[in-house]
Amino acid sequence: MSSESSKKRKPKVIRSDGAPAEGKRTRSDTEQEGKYYSEEAEVDLRDPGRDYELYKYTCQELQRLMAEIQDLKSRGGKDAQAVEIEDRRIQSCVHFMTLKKLNRLAHIRLKKGRDQTHEAKQKVDAYHLQLQNLLYEVMHLQKEITKCLEFKSKHEEIDLVSLEEFYKEAPPDISKAEVTMGDPHQQTLARLDWELEQRKRLAEKYRECLSNKEKILKEIEVKKEYLSSLQPRLNSIMQASLPVQEYLFMPFDQAHKQYETARHLPPPLYVLFVQATAYGQACAHRKSSQPPRQDKMLSVAIEGSVDEAKALFKPPEDSQDDESDSDAEEEQTTKRRRPTLGVQLDDKRKEMLKRHPLSVLLDLKCKDDSVLHLTFYYLMNLNIMTVKARVTTATELITPISAGDLLSPDSVLSCLYPGDHGKKTPNPANQYQFDKVGILTLRDYVLDLGHPYLWVQKLGGLHFPKEQPQHTVITDHSLSASHMETTMKLLKTRVQSRLALHKQFASLAKLQAAVVLNPGYSSIPPIFQLCLNWKGEKTNNNDDNIRAMESEVNVCYKELCGPRPGHQLLTNQLQRLCVLLDVYLETESHDDSVEGPKEFPQEKMCLRLFRGPSRIKPFKYNHPQGFFSHR
Amino acid sequence: MERAAQQAVPLGQMEVFQALQRLHMTIFSQSVSPCGKFLAAGNNYGQIAIFSLSAALSSEAKEESKKPMVTFQAHDGPVYSMVSTDRHLLSAGDGEVKAWLWAEILKKVSVELGEGRGTQTQREPLRPPSAWGHRESYDSAIIQQAFLSMKGCKELWRRQPPYRTSLEVPEINALLLVPKENLLILAGGDCQLHAMDLETGTFMWALRGHTDYIHCLALRERSPEVLSGGEDGAVRLWGKECRIGGKTGGKGGWGEEDASHGSSSADLRTAKEVQTIEVYKHEECSRPHNGRWIGCLATDSDWMVCGGGPALTLWHLRSSTPTTVFPMRAPQKHVTFYQDLILSAGQGRCVNQWQLSGELKAQVPGSSPGLLSLSLNQQPAAPECKVLTAAGNSCRVDVFTNLGYRAFSLSF
Repeated sequence: MSSESSKKRKPKVIRSDGAPAEGKRTRSDTEQEGKYYSEEAEVDLRDPGRDYELYKYTCQELQRLMAEIQDLKSRGGKDAQAVEIEDRRIQSCVHFMTLKKLNRLAHIRLKKGRDQTHEAKQKVDAYHLQLQNLLYEVMHLQKEITKCLEFKSKHEEIDLVSLEEFYKEAPPDISKAEVTMGDPHQQTLARLDWELEQRKRLAEKYRECLSNKEKILKEIEVKKEYLSSLQPRLNSIMQASLPVQEYLFMPFDQAHKQYETARHLPPPLYVLFVQATAYGQACAHRKSSQPPRQDKMLSVAIEGSVDEAKALFKPPEDSQDDESDSDAEEEQTTKRRRPTLGVQLDDKRKEMLKRHPLSVLLDLKCKDDSVLHLTFYYLMNLNIMTVKARVTTATELITPISAGDLLSPDSVLSCLYPGDHGKKTPNPANQYQFDKVGILTLRDYVLDLGHPYLWVQKLGGLHFPKEQPQHTVITDHSLSASHMETTMKLLKTRVQSRLALHKQFASLAKLQAAVVLNPGYSSIPPIFQLCLNWKGEKTNNNDDNIRAMESEVNVCYKELCGPRPGHQLLTNQLQRLCVLLDVYLETESHDDSVEGPKEFPQEKMCLRLFRGPSRIKPFKYNHPQGFFSHR
Repeated sequence: MERAAQQAVPLGQMEVFQALQRLHMTIFSQSVSPCGKFLAAGNNYGQIAIFSLSAALSSEAKEESKKPMVTFQAHDGPVYSMVSTDRHLLSAGDGEVKAWLWAEILKKVSVELGEGRGTQTQREPLRPPSAWGHRESYDSAIIQQAFLSMKGCKELWRRQPPYRTSLEVPEINALLLVPKENLLILAGGDCQLHAMDLETGTFMWALRGHTDYIHCLALRERSPEVLSGGEDGAVRLWGKECRIGGKTGGKGGWGEEDASHGSSSADLRTAKEVQTIEVYKHEECSRPHNGRWIGCLATDSDWMVCGGGPALTLWHLRSSTPTTVFPMRAPQKHVTFYQDLILSAGQGRCVNQWQLSGELKAQVPGSSPGLLSLSLNQQPAAPECKVLTAAGNSCRVDVFTNLGYRAFSLSF
């Protein structure tokens, strides 16, 4: 109790009156050693029940005191009463203090209670929220799980081989039994791998079978073709014997269809036809030791309308009018634009230049499968033969600008024999005919009619002696035969050499440089832009090395100025450009798929061919060592 | 008046030379700063320019904000490759790799910016409405630029891989960071992959196998981890020798081994060529007339896409078979996976966007006749600067704010 009393004295700040009444014995409160009095803390230490007891007791005491005061006052005593009343009043005051104190305590308790309730409620709310979140999460996870479970992978549709079979047949590097036995996922992957592998093998097999089938089909085709080619071969043998038959007047009932047609040919074309066919046959026999060779070196055919030719032959007078609508006329419609002396004269000219409706087609095949197509015409009224030529190649030709008209029909056969340009008529009689209708020279019509080369006339057996202009010409087989072989050989050589020349032209590299010269040259350097024509057009837009070359001459111009004051800049730049082009062409990587040697053998010494992401070539020259390296 | 002014000052040699250089400039490499707001670009003259993406993309961007904030001479030869760590900018090209502190570069940038703003505000009230004012500003701009490039920047360190002595120093075409090993892998002219420890700066090992120089590298998050493609037409995969099955599952390789064996270098040295894909031998994608070189490479889990001389092709690595051949005739120089698309660029003006199935989704034209590098700025620090930048055979870096069109170009 002593300790209590000592502590009781501390909160004197508030309880100035002391109040050591026995009613306050419950103030044994503050066990803690707090220096400040705290009523809130006091609440915790007091027992509410005992406070209630205290309250009741205090109220009773007050009542009792009031009653005593009442009693004393009503008794009406004076002095003694006054003292007693005063004493009672003091006591009741003390009790009031106690009541007040209890009241405060009650308020504090109430507030505390509320706070606790509130706190608890909030806690409950938080738990509730958490619960809901968790529920949501559970639901979401469940959904995900079902989604995953329901996931249909594509591989489920694939029928796999059974497990036992898989482990029995698959090679160990695919099956990997030690890994996959326990792990169904890895197992499925491995099985899918095996499936893929098997399918690949099957696909391979399928392809093989297909190619096998192709091969067999091709063989069948070849054999069929051989069989079907037998017939024309027999036929052409028949044809070769035609002139013999004709000379001997041996009418053959089984005359070939082409032979029928050939009969309607004008004499020069007929001679050509027969001789060419015979030569073709002879060559085929001599050259081809292997029997089934169907691609003849020389093939002959007849083109044009047989009916027209027949009509031409039967009534010689009418025919000329009838045939004026024929193709020969149509071809000459273009000539109308030329200034003429009159429509009549124009018609006469057309008449003069008319071709026979039939023509002979000669296909001369070279070794590299390029073909020279020759079409021979006969100009009936001029009694000369003309030829049109066309070259087709086995592979597509890229025509560079420089190759020009190497293969143009107009010039490909020019000068086959020395001086034979095919621009003048070989028949001296024609000149007189021309004078009549006002044709200066045949040259203007050559494009339409074909070229009247001298060798063409000879092939057709037409011989025009120069000294005798009026000499009537007759077709001569011996003349044609004597010229056939040499001419054919010449033709072949010509085509081959032209094609070779064409190829060489096409492969030539050509560098074009556009130069911008500032009026302030040479203090302001010129600017080059390049375009290389070689295997396609290359500019700085599609080739980084062209860009690098431009940069070498444009940006690094200071190295090219030469000795001061550097007026030689442009010349030096051009020379540098030549070196750069050499490097460019020589270091071009060679395409292995194309046969043959490199077009530009490497002569310059280079440490490396390409460098960096742009694959730039070694354009920098190292002077004393003499090799090229990268900048 | 104006004419007289122009005649009075003829074009100087320096300006002509700079103009010519700009005309023939090639930008080989790009790298975004760790903060995502700046872009470094390296060109064929060995210069690195720093552009501010945030300034160029801001609403009050002016013409000058599309110019470099600072340009410095970094190398003697072209800057073929650059990467950024969280502190450094690493650049390489002519046989050496150099490191620059981003913080220092940006400090310089801010200083220049401060100066620039100062002079500008000074000039503003003084600017008379005559031609003189323009000329003055032009001259001072030139002086400032010359000053910037002269002052330059000092590199933090420089290293050269151990080359066998040769007449020509081999170039470095590709840099690759392996973050979890803190390694830098360099590859290029000497046909090897060199690995440098970024901690110590020592070269730890080299991988040999390519028979011609290496164009490109790519990192994969599973084993085998490093891919390289080169002039010899092969894509080689390097890693610990653990074939499919045993240690797949997304881990394995070097990093995994470290924990079990303690010393990392021992394991890294055991990395070797695990798989080789000779692209040019597959007739689906080979194009002999273009050569066999592999110019670009990118991987995503089991998939790889590569292109160059052979056609751009998507490969399945586990079965090493070509899956999709993309119908693009021009050789491609850069390729990358982006979301479910493949972006590629090369000869020609366009950035090509492909579906994995091989369909061309879009071709977005840029301003350069040919592209060499693409860079996707995906730094989380600067979401407002999320752009695609493309650079190549010009002095311009095209900026694509979305994949549909070119927004503008930054220019050297």
